Amino acid sequence: MITITGISKEFKEGIGARSVKALEDLDLEIREGEVFGFLGPNGAGKSTAIKILMNLIYPDKGRASIRGKDVRDRETRRHVGYLSENPYFYDYLTAEELLWFGGRTSGLSSSAVKTRTDELLAKFSLNAARKRQLRTYSKGMVQRVGLALALVHDPDVAILDEPMSGLDPIGRKMVGDLILELKAQGKTVFFSSHILTDIERFCDRVGVIIGGKLRLVDTLDKLVSGTVSLEDVFLREVEKAGGGLQA
Amino acid sequence: MTTLWPIALITFKEGIRNRAIYGIFLMALMLLIANFLLCSMIPREVGKVAVDIALSTVYFSGLLLVFFVGINLMAKDLDRKTIYMVISRPISRPQYIVGKFFGMALLIIAAMVFLSIFAILSIFLIKLSYPGYFPRFSWPMVLLALALSTLPLILLSALSFLFASFTSSSFITLVLTMIAYIIGRSSYDVKALVESPEAAGIHPSPVTVKLVHVAYYLFPNLSVFDIKTQAAHNLPLAPSYILWAVLYGVVYTSLAVACAAVFFRRREFP
Repeated sequence: MITITGISKEFKEGIGARSVKALEDLDLEIREGEVFGFLGPNGAGKSTAIKILMNLIYPDKGRASIRGKDVRDRETRRHVGYLSENPYFYDYLTAEELLWFGGRTSGLSSSAVKTRTDELLAKFSLNAARKRQLRTYSKGMVQRVGLALALVHDPDVAILDEPMSGLDPIGRKMVGDLILELKAQGKTVFFSSHILTDIERFCDRVGVIIGGKLRLVDTLDKLVSGTVSLEDVFLREVEKAGGGLQA
Repeated sequence: MTTLWPIALITFKEGIRNRAIYGIFLMALMLLIANFLLCSMIPREVGKVAVDIALSTVYFSGLLLVFFVGINLMAKDLDRKTIYMVISRPISRPQYIVGKFFGMALLIIAAMVFLSIFAILSIFLIKLSYPGYFPRFSWPMVLLALALSTLPLILLSALSFLFASFTSSSFITLVLTMIAYIIGRSSYDVKALVESPEAAGIHPSPVTVKLVHVAYYLFPNLSVFDIKTQAAHNLPLAPSYILWAVLYGVVYTSLAVACAAVFFRRREFP
């Protein structure tokens, strides 16, 4: 469903600055209908990999595809819903207008957009604020409207970058329930997090990335046993990678 | 079009609801009121002064809109990463540029229509108060001047898109757009000057002459859209001149947007 093959990416900030390897020969395959958790410390390369999948940045080497189509093909994104880390939207638009934009650009008819907007705004408890400009929204509300935007076209694949980031317990539960609901519908969910409990609760498989390199991929059952927690596994991998945090 | 229209519409809505635009409108209204007061204080040529001030106010306000609202609309997308919500849809980078540009052009046209109504009202009231000072006045010429002054603003906006497509900072985009405006406004006169230096008593070096020629052909000649003098004095203007000016504006604008789309294709959003 999602295939990443030999992807490397370096960033160079300004003239004369040294390069930072964000990803190094990343190979990853996410199967149809599974919930895959991408785990790693801050600066590990999780968001870089996701941005390559969304064609926001280009890899230096390697290729990525979703549903068999190269991610550089814009049509690929017709079936993908994306929530960025700390999402920002246009300040002066309302939630309704934002979802109209998302639906129409994804090929939905006006009536389908309206039905889906009503459904999603009710689901994310944003009905009362649907005509308010987004600049008046709290962080949690922005995150929820971001999720609604990601799902407005009923995508087969949901790519969520730190979806629980900055949410209160109610918001976290809402996102958790959503991931489980998407899983029940047979959708593929790829989400990044550095919160271990989130990964443990929802994922079928887990990938651990540290310092731009994929250190481990396996099913949660195989990684976690009675005495070994996901935290133990993660810390062991961080230690093996020599701390894992990039300068 | 199903992709371009939603981008254009949200760009237009984001722009028209921006508080900065109300500040520009307010300043324009005050200048147009000042036009009335100023005309009551001068003893002659009231008609020409009234038309000149009204047209200049509308154009100046349009420039502020391009420099401070238009550039910001694109810069905010890049700085605050709101571009993620657009590029993560089935939208290519060139489509984003073209859609965004259409939205900005729509915003300029709407703002110019709004400002023009007040400019016309201002001239109308002055004309009503001092009818004797408007012997050669022509409404069609005023309307034509207002319409034609919209084109360089759209062209400048296209240039700001071109600059934003390869620069990393909105400030650099603003500076480059302002430079393009200054060169565009003066290149015709400077070219005429270096081509007949003896008339002005100057001795430009061959390098200066070459540079002026390069600037003249590279940057748009914005003075072709300025028919304020003709409107104020109701001087005749050949239809072929208007057609040529419109064609020049449309072609230059299209080229700038096309180049912006090509450059933007390579742009990354880390």
